[in-house]
Amino acid sequence: MTPPRDIHQYLAEFDDIPGTRVFTAARARQGYHLNQFAMSLMKAENRERWKANERAYLDGWKLTEEQKQAVLDRDYNRLLDLGGNIYFMAKVFSTDGQSFLQAVSTMSGMSLEDYQAMMLAGGRSPTGLRSLKDKY
Amino acid sequence: MARITAGVATSHIPALGVATDLGKTEEAYWKPAFAGYEWTKAWEAEQKPDVVILVYNDHASAFDMRVIPTFAIGCAEEFQPADEGWGPRKVPVVHGHPDLAWHIAQSLILDEFDMTIINEMDVDHGLTVPLSMMFGQPDQWPAKVIPIAVNVVTYPPPSGNRCWALGEAIARAVASFPEDLNVQVWGTGGMSHQLQGPRAGLINTEWDNRFLDRLEGNTDALRHIPHIEYLRETGSEGIEMVMWLVMRGALGRTTRALHRHYHVPASNTAVGHIVLEPITELGDTE
Repeated sequence: MTPPRDIHQYLAEFDDIPGTRVFTAARARQGYHLNQFAMSLMKAENRERWKANERAYLDGWKLTEEQKQAVLDRDYNRLLDLGGNIYFMAKVFSTDGQSFLQAVSTMSGMSLEDYQAMMLAGGRSPTGLRSLKDKY
Repeated sequence: MARITAGVATSHIPALGVATDLGKTEEAYWKPAFAGYEWTKAWEAEQKPDVVILVYNDHASAFDMRVIPTFAIGCAEEFQPADEGWGPRKVPVVHGHPDLAWHIAQSLILDEFDMTIINEMDVDHGLTVPLSMMFGQPDQWPAKVIPIAVNVVTYPPPSGNRCWALGEAIARAVASFPEDLNVQVWGTGGMSHQLQGPRAGLINTEWDNRFLDRLEGNTDALRHIPHIEYLRETGSEGIEMVMWLVMRGALGRTTRALHRHYHVPASNTAVGHIVLEPITELGDTE
Protein backbone atom coordinates (compact mmCIF):
# COMPACT_ATOMS: atom_id res chain seq x y z
CA MET A 1 0.00 0.00 0.00
CA THR A 2 0.99 3.62 -0.53
CA PRO A 3 1.53 5.16 2.92
CA PRO A 4 -1.24 7.41 4.27
CA ARG A 5 -1.04 10.99 3.08
CA ASP A 6 -2.26 14.32 4.36
CA ILE A 7 -5.45 14.98 2.34
CA HIS A 8 -5.14 18.75 2.80
CA GLN A 9 -1.63 18.80 1.40
CA TYR A 10 -2.73 16.51 -1.43
CA LEU A 11 -5.50 18.95 -2.41
CA ALA A 12 -3.47 22.14 -1.86
CA GLU A 13 -0.94 21.09 -4.49
CA PHE A 14 -3.65 21.16 -7.17
CA ASP A 15 -4.00 24.93 -6.67
CA ASP A 16 -0.31 25.35 -7.52
CA ILE A 17 -0.69 24.27 -11.18
CA PRO A 18 -1.03 27.23 -13.54
CA GLY A 19 -4.18 27.42 -15.68
CA THR A 20 -5.62 24.15 -14.45
CA ARG A 21 -8.84 23.30 -12.60
CA VAL A 22 -8.66 19.85 -11.04
CA PHE A 23 -12.06 18.18 -10.61
CA THR A 24 -11.87 17.73 -6.86
CA ALA A 25 -14.64 16.52 -4.57
CA ALA A 26 -15.42 20.17 -3.71
CA ARG A 27 -15.91 20.97 -7.41
CA ALA A 28 -17.86 17.76 -7.97
CA ARG A 29 -20.24 18.75 -5.16
CA GLN A 30 -20.56 22.35 -6.37
CA GLY A 31 -21.16 21.28 -9.97
CA TYR A 32 -23.42 18.27 -9.48
CA HIS A 33 -26.53 19.79 -11.08
CA LEU A 34 -24.49 21.65 -13.69
CA ASN A 35 -22.86 18.42 -14.84
CA GLN A 36 -26.14 16.50 -14.75
CA PHE A 37 -27.77 19.25 -16.82
CA ALA A 38 -24.99 18.83 -19.39
CA MET A 39 -25.42 15.05 -19.31
CA SER A 40 -29.12 15.45 -20.14
CA LEU A 41 -28.06 16.74 -23.58
CA MET A 42 -27.09 13.17 -24.47
CA LYS A 43 -30.77 12.66 -25.38
CA ALA A 44 -31.99 13.99 -28.73
CA GLU A 45 -35.33 15.20 -27.37
CA ASN A 46 -33.55 17.20 -24.67
CA ARG A 47 -31.21 18.74 -27.23
CA GLU A 48 -34.24 19.94 -29.19
CA ARG A 49 -35.82 21.50 -26.09
CA TRP A 50 -32.45 23.08 -25.20
CA LYS A 51 -31.97 24.55 -28.67
CA ALA A 52 -35.54 25.91 -28.73
CA ASN A 53 -35.06 27.93 -25.54
CA GLU A 54 -31.78 27.64 -23.61
CA ARG A 55 -32.88 29.85 -20.73
CA ALA A 56 -36.13 27.97 -20.16
CA TYR A 57 -34.30 24.65 -20.29
CA LEU A 58 -31.72 25.84 -17.75
CA ASP A 59 -34.50 27.03 -15.45
CA GLY A 60 -35.62 23.41 -15.16
CA TRP A 61 -32.36 22.58 -13.38
CA LYS A 62 -31.12 23.46 -9.90
CA LEU A 63 -28.26 25.65 -11.11
CA THR A 64 -27.13 28.91 -9.55
CA GLU A 65 -27.74 32.05 -11.57
CA GLU A 66 -23.98 32.32 -12.04
CA GLN A 67 -23.80 28.82 -13.48
CA LYS A 68 -26.74 29.50 -15.81
CA GLN A 69 -25.13 32.68 -17.11
CA ALA A 70 -21.78 30.96 -17.67
CA VAL A 71 -23.55 28.24 -19.68
CA LEU A 72 -25.39 30.84 -21.77
CA ASP A 73 -22.05 32.64 -22.31
CA ARG A 74 -20.24 29.34 -23.10
CA ASP A 75 -17.54 30.56 -20.72
CA TYR A 76 -15.85 27.22 -20.12
CA ASN A 77 -13.14 28.43 -17.75
CA ARG A 78 -15.86 30.00 -15.60
CA LEU A 79 -17.89 26.79 -15.78
CA LEU A 80 -14.90 24.78 -14.56
CA ASP A 81 -14.56 27.24 -11.66
CA LEU A 82 -18.24 26.71 -10.86
CA GLY A 83 -17.90 22.93 -10.67
CA GLY A 84 -18.24 21.92 -14.29
CA ASN A 85 -16.19 19.01 -15.57
CA ILE A 86 -14.84 19.09 -19.10
CA TYR A 87 -16.23 15.68 -20.08
CA PHE A 88 -19.70 16.87 -19.08
CA MET A 89 -19.26 20.33 -20.58
CA ALA A 90 -18.38 18.50 -23.80
CA LYS A 91 -22.09 17.65 -24.12
CA VAL A 92 -22.81 21.40 -24.37
CA PHE A 93 -20.19 22.20 -26.99
CA SER A 94 -20.95 19.02 -28.96
CA THR A 95 -24.59 20.13 -29.10
CA ASP A 96 -23.27 23.44 -30.48
CA GLY A 97 -21.47 21.44 -33.17
CA GLN A 98 -18.02 22.27 -31.79
CA SER A 99 -15.12 19.83 -31.66
CA PHE A 100 -12.91 19.35 -28.59
CA LEU A 101 -10.19 21.26 -30.43
CA GLN A 102 -12.47 24.25 -31.01
CA ALA A 103 -13.87 24.32 -27.48
CA VAL A 104 -10.50 23.74 -25.82
CA SER A 105 -8.91 26.58 -27.77
CA THR A 106 -11.48 29.03 -26.33
CA MET A 107 -10.23 28.25 -22.82
CA SER A 108 -6.61 28.87 -23.71
CA GLY A 109 -7.30 32.45 -24.81
CA MET A 110 -5.89 31.67 -28.26
CA SER A 111 -7.57 31.79 -31.63
CA LEU A 112 -8.44 28.40 -33.08
CA GLU A 113 -5.77 28.91 -35.78
CA ASP A 114 -3.05 29.77 -33.26
CA TYR A 115 -4.03 26.87 -31.03
CA GLN A 116 -3.97 24.44 -33.96
CA ALA A 117 -0.59 25.76 -35.06
CA MET A 118 0.77 25.30 -31.53
CA MET A 119 -0.44 21.67 -31.46
CA LEU A 120 1.04 20.95 -34.88
CA ALA A 121 4.35 22.32 -33.64
CA GLY A 122 4.36 19.82 -30.77
CA GLY A 123 1.96 21.34 -28.26
CA ARG A 124 2.35 23.64 -25.29
CA SER A 125 5.65 23.15 -23.49
CA PRO A 126 5.39 22.41 -19.76
CA THR A 127 8.40 24.65 -19.10
CA GLY A 128 7.39 27.32 -16.60
CA LEU A 129 3.87 25.90 -16.35
CA ARG A 130 4.32 23.19 -13.75
CA SER A 131 4.11 25.23 -10.57
CA LEU A 132 2.95 28.73 -9.69
CA LYS A 133 5.18 29.08 -6.65
CA ASP A 134 8.30 27.33 -7.89
CA LYS A 135 8.05 28.53 -11.53
CA TYR A 136 9.66 25.62 -13.34
CA MET B 1 -5.47 -22.77 -17.81
CA ALA B 2 -6.08 -19.21 -18.90
CA ARG B 3 -2.85 -17.29 -19.40
CA ILE B 4 -1.87 -13.66 -19.98
CA THR B 5 0.31 -13.66 -23.08
CA ALA B 6 0.78 -9.95 -23.72
CA GLY B 7 -0.03 -6.44 -22.66
CA VAL B 8 -0.89 -3.51 -24.88
CA ALA B 9 -1.13 0.15 -23.94
CA THR B 10 -2.58 2.85 -26.14
CA SER B 11 -4.16 6.27 -26.13
CA HIS B 12 -7.90 6.13 -26.83
CA ILE B 13 -8.35 9.49 -28.56
CA PRO B 14 -11.93 9.91 -29.87
CA ALA B 15 -10.68 11.68 -33.02
CA LEU B 16 -8.84 8.47 -34.00
CA GLY B 17 -12.20 6.69 -33.96
CA VAL B 18 -13.77 9.44 -36.05
CA ALA B 19 -10.88 9.32 -38.55
CA THR B 20 -11.29 5.52 -38.79
CA ASP B 21 -15.06 5.69 -39.24
CA LEU B 22 -14.87 8.43 -41.88
CA GLY B 23 -12.05 6.75 -43.82
CA LYS B 24 -9.54 9.53 -43.14
CA THR B 25 -6.65 7.38 -41.93
CA GLU B 26 -4.60 7.98 -45.07
CA GLU B 27 -4.88 11.78 -44.86
CA ALA B 28 -1.58 13.55 -44.25
CA TYR B 29 -2.56 14.72 -40.78
CA TRP B 30 -3.70 11.30 -39.54
CA LYS B 31 -1.35 8.97 -41.40
CA PRO B 32 1.59 9.12 -38.96
CA ALA B 33 -0.73 8.40 -36.04
CA PHE B 34 -2.22 5.33 -37.73
CA ALA B 35 1.03 4.09 -39.29
CA GLY B 36 2.35 3.22 -35.84
CA TYR B 37 -0.47 0.73 -35.36
CA GLU B 38 0.16 -1.26 -38.55
CA TRP B 39 2.70 -3.52 -36.85
CA THR B 40 0.32 -4.17 -33.99
CA LYS B 41 -2.64 -4.94 -36.25
CA ALA B 42 -0.60 -7.59 -38.07
CA TRP B 43 0.68 -8.97 -34.76
CA GLU B 44 -2.82 -9.14 -33.26
CA ALA B 45 -4.06 -10.99 -36.35
CA GLU B 46 -1.41 -13.66 -35.61
CA GLN B 47 -1.87 -13.71 -31.86
CA LYS B 48 -5.65 -14.21 -32.01
CA PRO B 49 -6.32 -13.52 -28.32
CA ASP B 50 -9.47 -15.21 -27.02
CA VAL B 51 -10.14 -12.49 -24.48
CA VAL B 52 -8.97 -8.92 -24.00
CA ILE B 53 -9.24 -7.45 -20.52
CA LEU B 54 -9.60 -3.81 -21.53
CA VAL B 55 -8.85 -1.16 -18.93
CA TYR B 56 -10.39 2.20 -19.85
CA ASN B 57 -12.39 5.07 -18.47
CA ASP B 58 -15.94 6.03 -19.29
CA HIS B 59 -16.32 9.65 -20.48
CA ALA B 60 -19.71 10.56 -19.04
CA SER B 61 -21.44 8.00 -21.26
CA ALA B 62 -22.46 4.93 -19.24
CA PHE B 63 -21.83 6.64 -15.90
CA ASP B 64 -22.76 10.16 -14.91
CA MET B 65 -22.24 11.90 -11.56
CA ARG B 66 -24.90 9.77 -9.84
CA VAL B 67 -22.58 6.79 -9.44
CA ILE B 68 -18.77 6.97 -9.51
CA PRO B 69 -17.14 3.54 -9.21
CA THR B 70 -13.38 3.64 -8.69
CA PHE B 71 -12.97 0.19 -10.28
CA ALA B 72 -15.77 -1.55 -12.16
CA ILE B 73 -15.84 -4.79 -14.15
CA GLY B 74 -18.24 -5.54 -17.00
CA CYS B 75 -19.71 -9.02 -16.62
CA ALA B 76 -22.38 -8.82 -19.34
CA GLU B 77 -22.80 -11.00 -22.43
CA GLU B 78 -22.52 -7.94 -24.63
CA PHE B 79 -21.97 -4.19 -24.56
CA GLN B 80 -23.43 -1.83 -27.15
CA PRO B 81 -21.37 1.09 -28.51
CA ALA B 82 -22.53 4.18 -26.60
CA ASP B 83 -24.28 7.16 -28.15
CA GLU B 84 -21.93 9.95 -27.11
CA GLY B 85 -24.23 12.63 -28.47
CA TRP B 86 -23.84 12.15 -32.21
CA GLY B 87 -25.13 8.58 -32.51
CA PRO B 88 -23.29 5.36 -31.61
CA ARG B 89 -20.09 4.54 -33.54
CA LYS B 90 -20.86 2.11 -36.33
CA VAL B 91 -18.62 -0.58 -34.91
CA PRO B 92 -19.52 -4.16 -33.95
CA VAL B 93 -21.22 -4.98 -30.67
CA VAL B 94 -18.63 -5.86 -28.02
CA HIS B 95 -19.05 -9.41 -26.73
CA GLY B 96 -18.05 -10.08 -23.15
CA HIS B 97 -16.82 -13.22 -21.46
CA PRO B 98 -19.19 -13.40 -18.48
CA ASP B 99 -17.72 -16.61 -17.00
CA LEU B 100 -14.19 -15.26 -16.88
CA ALA B 101 -15.41 -11.79 -15.86
CA TRP B 102 -17.40 -13.13 -12.90
CA HIS B 103 -14.47 -15.35 -11.96
CA ILE B 104 -12.15 -12.31 -11.99
CA ALA B 105 -14.68 -10.25 -10.02
CA GLN B 106 -14.92 -12.90 -7.29
CA SER B 107 -11.19 -13.36 -7.16
CA LEU B 108 -10.52 -9.61 -6.96
CA ILE B 109 -13.03 -9.10 -4.15
CA LEU B 110 -11.45 -11.93 -2.15
CA ASP B 111 -8.13 -10.24 -2.90
CA GLU B 112 -9.54 -7.14 -1.15
CA PHE B 113 -10.36 -5.03 -4.22
CA ASP B 114 -13.86 -3.56 -3.86
CA MET B 115 -15.04 -4.02 -7.43
CA THR B 116 -18.31 -2.66 -8.78
CA ILE B 117 -19.97 -5.33 -10.91
CA ILE B 118 -21.71 -4.02 -14.03
CA ASN B 119 -24.19 -6.20 -15.89
CA GLU B 120 -25.63 -3.61 -18.25
CA MET B 121 -23.75 -0.74 -19.81
CA ASP B 122 -22.83 0.83 -23.12
CA VAL B 123 -19.16 1.34 -23.92
CA ASP B 124 -17.84 4.62 -25.32
CA HIS B 125 -14.79 5.60 -27.38
CA GLY B 126 -12.54 4.84 -24.40
CA LEU B 127 -13.13 1.16 -25.15
CA THR B 128 -14.06 1.05 -28.85
CA VAL B 129 -11.22 3.23 -30.21
CA PRO B 130 -8.50 0.84 -28.92
CA LEU B 131 -10.40 -2.07 -30.53
CA SER B 132 -10.39 -0.19 -33.86
CA MET B 133 -6.69 0.65 -33.54
CA MET B 134 -5.70 -2.98 -32.86
CA PHE B 135 -8.24 -4.90 -34.93
CA GLY B 136 -9.14 -2.48 -37.74
CA GLN B 137 -12.67 -2.56 -39.11
CA PRO B 138 -13.88 -6.19 -39.01
CA ASP B 139 -17.55 -7.26 -39.17
CA GLN B 140 -17.20 -8.51 -35.64
CA TRP B 141 -14.46 -8.06 -33.06
CA PRO B 142 -12.13 -11.08 -33.13
CA ALA B 143 -11.88 -11.35 -29.33
CA LYS B 144 -14.19 -11.33 -26.33
CA VAL B 145 -13.72 -8.24 -24.18
CA ILE B 146 -13.91 -7.77 -20.42
CA PRO B 147 -14.21 -4.05 -19.69
CA ILE B 148 -12.51 -2.78 -16.53
CA ALA B 149 -13.56 0.82 -15.96
CA VAL B 150 -11.39 3.07 -13.77
CA ASN B 151 -12.44 6.47 -12.44
CA VAL B 152 -9.85 8.99 -13.59
CA VAL B 153 -12.24 11.95 -13.76
CA THR B 154 -13.44 12.74 -10.24
CA TYR B 155 -10.63 13.18 -7.70
CA PRO B 156 -9.09 11.28 -6.25
CA PRO B 157 -8.55 8.61 -8.87
CA PRO B 158 -6.86 5.44 -7.60
CA SER B 159 -3.11 5.68 -7.03
CA GLY B 160 -0.70 4.25 -9.57
CA ASN B 161 0.37 1.74 -6.97
CA ARG B 162 -3.22 0.58 -6.46
CA CYS B 163 -3.67 0.20 -10.22
CA TRP B 164 -0.48 -1.83 -10.46
CA ALA B 165 -1.63 -4.05 -7.58
CA LEU B 166 -5.02 -4.50 -9.28
CA GLY B 167 -3.15 -5.74 -12.34
CA GLU B 168 -1.24 -8.22 -10.19
CA ALA B 169 -4.52 -9.47 -8.75
CA ILE B 170 -6.06 -9.76 -12.23
CA ALA B 171 -3.09 -11.94 -13.22
CA ARG B 172 -3.73 -14.24 -10.25
CA ALA B 173 -7.43 -14.41 -11.16
CA VAL B 174 -6.71 -15.27 -14.80
CA ALA B 175 -4.15 -17.91 -13.84
CA SER B 176 -6.75 -19.68 -11.69
CA PHE B 177 -9.39 -19.89 -14.44
CA PRO B 178 -9.51 -23.50 -15.64
CA GLU B 179 -10.37 -22.94 -19.30
CA ASP B 180 -7.47 -22.71 -21.75
CA LEU B 181 -7.62 -19.10 -22.94
CA ASN B 182 -5.16 -16.73 -24.56
CA VAL B 183 -5.73 -13.49 -22.64
CA GLN B 184 -4.30 -10.04 -23.26
CA VAL B 185 -4.55 -7.05 -20.93
CA TRP B 186 -4.83 -3.61 -22.50
CA GLY B 187 -4.34 -0.35 -20.64
CA THR B 188 -5.75 2.66 -22.45
CA GLY B 189 -5.93 6.47 -22.21
CA GLY B 190 -3.25 9.15 -22.01
CA MET B 191 -0.50 10.11 -22.85
CA SER B 192 0.16 13.78 -22.12
CA HIS B 193 -2.81 16.02 -22.77
CA GLN B 194 -4.77 18.79 -21.13
CA LEU B 195 -8.28 19.49 -22.39
CA GLN B 196 -9.19 22.35 -20.06
CA GLY B 197 -8.21 25.75 -18.77
CA PRO B 198 -5.64 28.27 -20.03
CA ARG B 199 -2.90 25.60 -19.93
CA ALA B 200 -4.83 23.48 -22.49
CA GLY B 201 -2.70 21.82 -25.14
CA LEU B 202 0.18 20.83 -22.88
CA ILE B 203 2.38 18.06 -24.31
CA ASN B 204 5.44 16.63 -22.55
CA THR B 205 7.21 14.37 -25.02
CA GLU B 206 10.22 13.80 -22.80
CA TRP B 207 8.16 12.69 -19.81
CA ASP B 208 5.93 10.47 -21.95
CA ASN B 209 8.92 8.70 -23.44
CA ARG B 210 10.50 8.14 -20.06
CA PHE B 211 7.20 6.59 -18.96
CA LEU B 212 7.30 4.29 -22.00
CA ASP B 213 10.93 3.38 -21.18
CA ARG B 214 9.98 2.28 -17.71
CA LEU B 215 7.15 -0.01 -18.81
CA GLU B 216 9.89 -2.27 -20.16
CA GLY B 217 12.16 -4.41 -18.02
CA ASN B 218 11.85 -5.12 -14.33
CA THR B 219 11.58 -1.73 -12.68
CA ASP B 220 8.40 -0.90 -10.82
CA ALA B 221 9.26 2.80 -10.44
CA LEU B 222 6.11 3.89 -12.27
CA ARG B 223 3.82 2.65 -9.53
CA HIS B 224 5.13 5.33 -7.18
CA ILE B 225 4.44 8.41 -9.36
CA PRO B 226 2.04 10.62 -7.38
CA HIS B 227 -1.03 12.20 -8.99
CA ILE B 228 0.48 15.67 -8.73
CA GLU B 229 3.37 14.64 -10.98
CA TYR B 230 1.03 13.45 -13.75
CA LEU B 231 -0.90 16.71 -13.45
CA ARG B 232 2.12 19.00 -13.48
CA GLU B 233 4.11 17.16 -16.12
CA THR B 234 1.54 15.68 -18.50
CA GLY B 235 -1.52 17.91 -18.20
CA SER B 236 -4.77 17.37 -16.38
CA GLU B 237 -5.82 14.39 -18.51
CA GLY B 238 -2.40 12.71 -18.46
CA ILE B 239 -3.63 11.10 -15.23
CA GLU B 240 -5.22 8.48 -17.51
CA MET B 241 -1.82 6.80 -17.66
CA VAL B 242 -2.52 5.18 -14.27
CA MET B 243 -4.71 2.82 -16.29
CA TRP B 244 -1.64 1.61 -18.18
CA LEU B 245 -0.28 0.46 -14.83
CA VAL B 246 -3.11 -2.04 -14.39
CA MET B 247 -1.86 -3.66 -17.60
CA ARG B 248 1.78 -3.45 -16.52
CA GLY B 249 1.02 -4.94 -13.10
CA ALA B 250 -0.74 -7.87 -14.78
CA LEU B 251 2.38 -8.81 -16.77
CA GLY B 252 4.49 -9.76 -13.76
CA ARG B 253 7.96 -8.73 -12.79
CA THR B 254 9.70 -8.36 -16.14
CA THR B 255 8.56 -7.35 -19.61
CA ARG B 256 10.03 -7.04 -23.07
CA ALA B 257 8.75 -4.44 -25.54
CA LEU B 258 7.82 -5.84 -28.94
CA HIS B 259 6.70 -2.57 -30.48
CA ARG B 260 6.56 1.07 -29.50
CA HIS B 261 5.15 4.18 -31.16
CA TYR B 262 4.75 7.84 -30.20
CA HIS B 263 3.28 10.68 -32.21
CA VAL B 264 2.21 14.29 -31.61
CA PRO B 265 -0.38 15.62 -32.20
CA ALA B 266 -3.63 13.81 -32.74
CA SER B 267 -6.23 16.43 -32.00
CA ASN B 268 -5.15 17.87 -28.60
CA THR B 269 -3.04 14.95 -27.48
CA ALA B 270 0.02 12.76 -27.71
CA VAL B 271 -0.56 9.27 -29.12
CA GLY B 272 1.47 6.67 -27.32
CA HIS B 273 1.31 2.96 -27.81
CA ILE B 274 3.41 -0.01 -26.69
CA VAL B 275 3.16 -3.80 -26.94
CA LEU B 276 4.75 -5.81 -24.14
CA GLU B 277 5.23 -9.47 -23.41
CA PRO B 278 5.81 -10.92 -19.98
CA ILE B 279 9.15 -12.65 -19.36
CA THR B 280 9.18 -15.54 -16.97
CA GLU B 281 12.47 -15.52 -15.09
CA LEU B 282 14.22 -18.29 -13.23
CA GLY B 283 12.83 -18.35 -9.72
CA ASP B 284 9.42 -16.98 -10.62
CA THR B 285 6.87 -19.24 -9.00
CA GLU B 286 3.82 -18.23 -11.01
